[in-house]
Amino acid sequence: MQLIDLKGILNLTQSPLYNNLVTRSTGRAVRSRVEEELEKIDEAQLAVIDFGQVNCLDFSCADEIVAKLLLAHGTGRYFLLRGVSGAHMEAIEAVLDRHGLATVAEDRSGEVQLLGPINEIARKAFGMVMKNGSAREQDLLESLDYSPDSVKEALDELCTRRLIFLASASYQPLTSI
Amino acid sequence: MTRVVEIPTSFDDQTFDQFAKNFGEPGDEKLLFDAHAANWATPYGLTGILVAGQVLRDSGAEKPLFTIPNDRNVSGYWSRLGFFDFAEEFFELHGKVPKVIPKNKQDVLLEITPIREVDDVHEVVRKIQERAVAILTHELKLDSTSTMGFAMALSEACQNIVEHSGTSGWVSVQSYNWKKRLGRKIVLIAVSDSGMGFRESLEPSLAKHHGDRWGDGPALEAALMQAVSRFRDPGRGQGLQGIRRYLNRWDGKMSVRSGTSRLTISPDWDSDDPRLDNLAKFPGSQIQMIIPEQLETSKGSK
Repeated sequence: MQLIDLKGILNLTQSPLYNNLVTRSTGRAVRSRVEEELEKIDEAQLAVIDFGQVNCLDFSCADEIVAKLLLAHGTGRYFLLRGVSGAHMEAIEAVLDRHGLATVAEDRSGEVQLLGPINEIARKAFGMVMKNGSAREQDLLESLDYSPDSVKEALDELCTRRLIFLASASYQPLTSI
Repeated sequence: MTRVVEIPTSFDDQTFDQFAKNFGEPGDEKLLFDAHAANWATPYGLTGILVAGQVLRDSGAEKPLFTIPNDRNVSGYWSRLGFFDFAEEFFELHGKVPKVIPKNKQDVLLEITPIREVDDVHEVVRKIQERAVAILTHELKLDSTSTMGFAMALSEACQNIVEHSGTSGWVSVQSYNWKKRLGRKIVLIAVSDSGMGFRESLEPSLAKHHGDRWGDGPALEAALMQAVSRFRDPGRGQGLQGIRRYLNRWDGKMSVRSGTSRLTISPDWDSDDPRLDNLAKFPGSQIQMIIPEQLETSKGSK
């Protein structure tokens, strides 16, 4: 797991006084630094993007940082957004909706949530994996009240979008990387 | 010859068109902005005057004259809002500019502030968080998440200037007690620039599609209702949508004037026309957002 502190990056790119991720050009500059950090991290590692010290996040910055990171690296890397506030979530969900993207976020109370337009089956499957710490396909097929094909499709989607991963024949949450 | 541009005695979004009409499309004549009889002006009106001054300065016109309001309370308030600090750059001021006397009552949440570059937007967001959180949460009864949304809305409106106008602009935030009009307190945000406006910004991508119907009104609708941006990047155009969502949730009102049209998104408590066309032409774009004090029954329920 590698922590990428957005407040620290913001202060390097803008001013040490700022703790708001606002404006598109700020978002671009911050994303560029985040990508430099990502180059140092193995793709199999979890990149934890830390919003904990960030006050305000506007839509433009959410688009530049979260959406564009996922568009460029979302199928090749594992991302977890940490320290996300309710207000951050609003901006992040709006940009994820706009691009049809999804990501995993941990709010400030430590609760892990799936953000973005994800269908109900995949959302429930994700919830079960999170709740149990891991889940075998057979357990999910038995527990979820949907056709086996649709459950398998949902699990494939979650894995392809790197929202969970498959290890030792079990689906695992990103937090166990 | 000097032409008089009368400042409406009560100058807000409702009388702005009177001002735009008076301003007209200046030629070579010298202008006198006459505010001597003014008895009331909102940040929307005052930033509009600065835009007019900026346009004249940028066009190389002779520095216009400006008569300061006779009423000391009025000119005192304009001073407190920082209006004269910038007006003196564009106008030859006539009359006494009152010294700023700090008031205990913090009705001016953000003095008139120029937006020229990205750092100005950061500074505005930082200041508003320092000053406005207490008023938003205690007086307007918004929750803490919504105060962050307020900063977000302000940021998006201000960066529209940096990203799209092609020039600089102004922002100001003021709280009012609208006892008669609404029976509630409100916060008013005014953001104004003298730039290219929505029609010119979107013309390359939309004018052909609209054909003869193209104009300021359709441009405003495309930007506000359909999140269309002049950039091809599909992530663009979300700022105004985000502002709309925020205002809708908190029963707020938004109006955007550009060129000869004004589009208004009204809550139930307001009955403004949704769209007005064929108004007097005025440069750039003028945005006004109003967030009212929350009633216990409607608080964030949308």
